[in-house]
Amino acid sequence: MRLLTHNTLRNNTADAKGKGFPLKITATEIRVEETAPTMEVDRQVAFCKNMLSRLDWPALVQASRDMGIPTLPPVLTDEMAHDTAFLQALYKILMQVHLEQGMLTCPVTGREFPVTNGIPNMLLEEEECEHVKL
Amino acid sequence: MTSRPELTGHASLFYNQKEARKYHSSSRMIGVQREITERAMELLRLDPNTPALILDVGCGSGLSGQILEENGHVWLGCDVSRDMLTVANNTAKQQSQQPPKEESMQQDDSDDEEEEEEEEGASTGDLMHHDMGTGLPFRPATFDACISISALQWLCYSNSKNQNPKKRLLRFFSSLYTVLKRGGRAVLQFYPETADQAVLISETATKVGFAGGVVVDYPNSAKAKKHYLVLSFDRSSTQQQQQQQRPLTTGMHEQQQQQHVTVGSTMEGANNKKKKAPKKKKGVKTKEWIVHKKAMQRKKGKDVRPDTKYTARRRPHKF
Repeated sequence: MRLLTHNTLRNNTADAKGKGFPLKITATEIRVEETAPTMEVDRQVAFCKNMLSRLDWPALVQASRDMGIPTLPPVLTDEMAHDTAFLQALYKILMQVHLEQGMLTCPVTGREFPVTNGIPNMLLEEEECEHVKL
Repeated sequence: MTSRPELTGHASLFYNQKEARKYHSSSRMIGVQREITERAMELLRLDPNTPALILDVGCGSGLSGQILEENGHVWLGCDVSRDMLTVANNTAKQQSQQPPKEESMQQDDSDDEEEEEEEEGASTGDLMHHDMGTGLPFRPATFDACISISALQWLCYSNSKNQNPKKRLLRFFSSLYTVLKRGGRAVLQFYPETADQAVLISETATKVGFAGGVVVDYPNSAKAKKHYLVLSFDRSSTQQQQQQQRPLTTGMHEQQQQQHVTVGSTMEGANNKKKKAPKKKKGVKTKEWIVHKKAMQRKKGKDVRPDTKYTARRRPHKF
């Protein structure tokens, strides 16, 4: 699981009431990819720029710390958002750091989602799901 | 194997280790999936120059994700079958270990761009084990687009007593509505067993607020026939004129959405005709109706019982 994916995930059980974010990472195995995903550099930067407004920055900083990367600045400034080198580094953190084995814990309900072989298990029981009215 | 695996039970049971491997190595499957995904990409109408974050619901072994990658997008796939995900994961890892050779796959239009890169090879996709019927577990407005290839029909079947297909569909679509960015689009290809299923699916989608409809490719061929549910937030393009003409009420709004559900036509062709709401029919056997009828019979000179206080009154009990 990438940090990018982690930043989008939310516990959507009925108990969490839509606030199950950010999931706390307990890492047991981390894999850092050496090769960047198939994308040319311009596109990487464009992608990060595109994603910046959607990322939850404090959550990303915390998550990257949990994964052993303390280099992200705690506050995102406008200059950084236009700094190509920074965006490239950000792309690396978002895309090349994988949580292989570990646990994700919901901050509200404490519900745990195990991550095995890099795949988080977000399966829910029918009873846990949000109720919908037909 | 029956012709409809949906009837045999849960998707994760059907797509077991053996089936997953078979699925991923079958050249027919790969061809079909590629074709469908390419068509879905066409319907998504994404800007090819902006890399997008795309959600792939029911990604399976990642065949559809490969197409998204080739188009230079980042994707996140979720599937209910762990075995399928394992196959996808292994493929992705192999990819990241071996730098890509000059593959025959890179013959598409992005060829010139891809020649520039040398060292890269890893997949842009990420995977997640999840059942779409329980609602998508993401923050609101996260994804630029969503695709789903041959998966949606699984939601129409219930595999246990506490699963209600309608509820699961509704949960899926309402969560999809929240996780998509405003202005985003979703293209979901599915195989409906009956026409009712197609209607149920598209009606549920419009119920949560989506605009759009079902596009049917090759409607006259039993084999090549494909249903694509194209969803967007953009209700203005086809309805702008109508909204100018009509007063905006919540009732009207719902009616407009209802008319957007068209099966068997393209979305652009789904110009909703103005239709007056049908008058509420009064019950046939009202007192006025009976008295009127008796008067008519009398006029014709027939022997009719006189009108009394008992005329058209309900019986206190059945005979």
